[in-house]
Amino acid sequence: MNVLGMKTLLAKEVRRFMRVPGQTVLSPLISTTLYFIVFGVSMSNRVQTVEGLPYLHFIVPGLVFLGIANNAFLNSSSSLFITKIQGTVVDLLVAPLGPGELMAGFIGGAMVRGLVVGLLTWAVATFFTGFSLEHAGVAAYFLILSSYVFSVLGMLAAVWAEKFEQINFFPTFVMLPLTFLGGVFYSVRELPAPWNTVSLFNPMVYMVEGLRYGMLGRSLYSPLGAGSILFAVAVGATALTYAVLRSGYKMKA
Amino acid sequence: MSVPALELQGLSKRYGEFTALHTVDLAIRPGEIFALLGPNGAGKTTMIGSVCGLVKKSSGSIRVFGKDLDQDPVGPRYDIGLVPQEINFDPFFTVAESLRIQLGFYGRPTDEARIDEVLTALNLHAKKDAYTRALSGGMKRRLLIAKALVHKPRLVFLDEPTAGVDVELRRDLWTYVRKLASEGTTIVLTTHYLEEAEELADRVGIINEGRLLMVEDKATLLRRFGERRVIITFEQPQPGLSEAGKRFAARLSEDGRTLTYVERDGCAPSGELLRALYAEGQLISDVETRRSRMEDVLIEILRGRPQQAA
Repeated sequence: MNVLGMKTLLAKEVRRFMRVPGQTVLSPLISTTLYFIVFGVSMSNRVQTVEGLPYLHFIVPGLVFLGIANNAFLNSSSSLFITKIQGTVVDLLVAPLGPGELMAGFIGGAMVRGLVVGLLTWAVATFFTGFSLEHAGVAAYFLILSSYVFSVLGMLAAVWAEKFEQINFFPTFVMLPLTFLGGVFYSVRELPAPWNTVSLFNPMVYMVEGLRYGMLGRSLYSPLGAGSILFAVAVGATALTYAVLRSGYKMKA
Repeated sequence: MSVPALELQGLSKRYGEFTALHTVDLAIRPGEIFALLGPNGAGKTTMIGSVCGLVKKSSGSIRVFGKDLDQDPVGPRYDIGLVPQEINFDPFFTVAESLRIQLGFYGRPTDEARIDEVLTALNLHAKKDAYTRALSGGMKRRLLIAKALVHKPRLVFLDEPTAGVDVELRRDLWTYVRKLASEGTTIVLTTHYLEEAEELADRVGIINEGRLLMVEDKATLLRRFGERRVIITFEQPQPGLSEAGKRFAARLSEDGRTLTYVERDGCAPSGELLRALYAEGQLISDVETRRSRMEDVLIEILRGRPQQAA
C-alpha cells in the first residue's frame, strides 16, 4: 500500500479546489442559500408545518444534503475528468498508485469539498432557524456516507465520460431530478399516488430522511433502514469503481 | 548475467483487427542507454505504454528488474520514470509543487535538495515558484523531464523528450542523460532526432509496423549497415577511370577531378585503393571521407536490408 502516494493525492485534491474557493465553495454555498431563502422563507408563509416541523426547519437537512451531494460529485468527476483531458492522468497511471490509492485520493478530496459546502450551508441555515442536532451520530453517519457515495459516483462518471457533455449528464439528468424528487422541499408521503410509491425507489429519499432524523429528530423511515440502504449503495458503488479502475476501462489504451 | 532492467517476451498489443505490437522480445541491460527508433506509428509509444501502465497488453510478459508486471502491477512502478510524448501540466500548481506531488506519488517524502538538483540540471530553477501555466512550451517540456526524474527511477523512458525544444535544452538533456547512465540509471529513448540516438545510445532497436526488426550495438549497426564515402581529388583532371579505379568500382566525376569510392562492411578498405592509385603514379591533392549517419542506416534498414543481412 502506497500510503504516502495516497495522502499526496488527497492533499493535492483538497489544494486544487481550495485554489479556486469562489468557484468551488462560495458559489455553491450561495446557490444553496438562495434555495433556502426563495423556497424556505417565501413558502413558510403559506406552509406552516410539514411532518410536524416548521417548513423552514424541514428543508434544512435536504439543502445540506444537496450541497454535499452536488459538490462531492462535481469535485471527483471534474477533477478526474480534467486529468484525463489535459493528459496528467499519465502521472497517476505510471506512478505506483493502485485502484485503492486512486479512490482514496479522489474520493477523500471530494468528500472534504462536499462536507465543507454542506456544513457551511448548515451554518447559514442556523441564522434563520437556530441550531438543531438531535442525534449527532446519525447525522454524522449520513453526512459522511452521503458525501462518500456521491464522490464515488463522480469518479465513476469521470472514468466513463469522454466529452464534457457526458460529464454533465449525471448531475443534470440523474442527480438533479432525483434530488428534487427526493423530499428535499416536501414530504414524499404527501405526494399523490403513484408518486409516493415511486419515490420509495429513489435512494436520495432515504439519505435526506436519514439526515433529517439526525438533525431534527423526525423522519418518515427508520434511520436503521435508511442507513442500511445508504450503506448498501456505498458498498455497491465502491466495488464497481474498484473493478472499473482495476480493469483500466477508458483509462488505459 | 545480471537481471535485465526490462525484459519483454512475446509482447503483443491488438486494437480489434489492428496489431500495434507483434510478439516483441527484448531485453534491456541495466545501466545502458537504449534508443528505440522507427517511423511514426511504428509501435514505440505502445511498447513504452505497455511497460508504464498506460496500455493494456494483449499477450506476452513484461519484467522490470526481474519482477513480472502480471504478478505485481504496482510494485515495479516505483522504479520507473516516464517522459511522455505529449506535454501535460496541472495549471493549479507551481513547478516546485508539481515535483513535490510527484515525489509523494512515488512514496518519497519531500526532498527540496533533490528538487533543486533536478531543476538546476534542466535549467528550470529560476521558474521553481512559477505556476506551470505560465511556462513556455520548452519549459513545460523541461518540467515533464524533471517530473520523470525527481524520484530517482532506475529505469527511465524518454518518449521523444526533445521534440520541439531548442538546441540548448537538447544539449542540457543529453548531458544529464549521460550523467544518469554513468550513475547506473537505465534509459530507454525514442526520438525522431537520429542525431540524438547516435549521440547517446549504447544500443539501438529498430521497430516498424509493430515488429522489432533488429537490436544491435550502435557501433556495430553503423559499421554493418553504414558506409564510408571516400572522395579523392586529383591534382590534374583524369581523362578516364584508371585500372585501379575500375578494380575498386570507384566513380570518376564528369570533370575528371574527383574519384568517389563507397566503402561498406566486407569491401576492400579505402587504403588499398589509395595505395593502388599511388602505384599508378596518380597525384592526389586531397582525400575526404564521409561516414553514414544513423539516419542513413535507419532508412537502409526500413527499406529491407536487415532481412538480407541477417
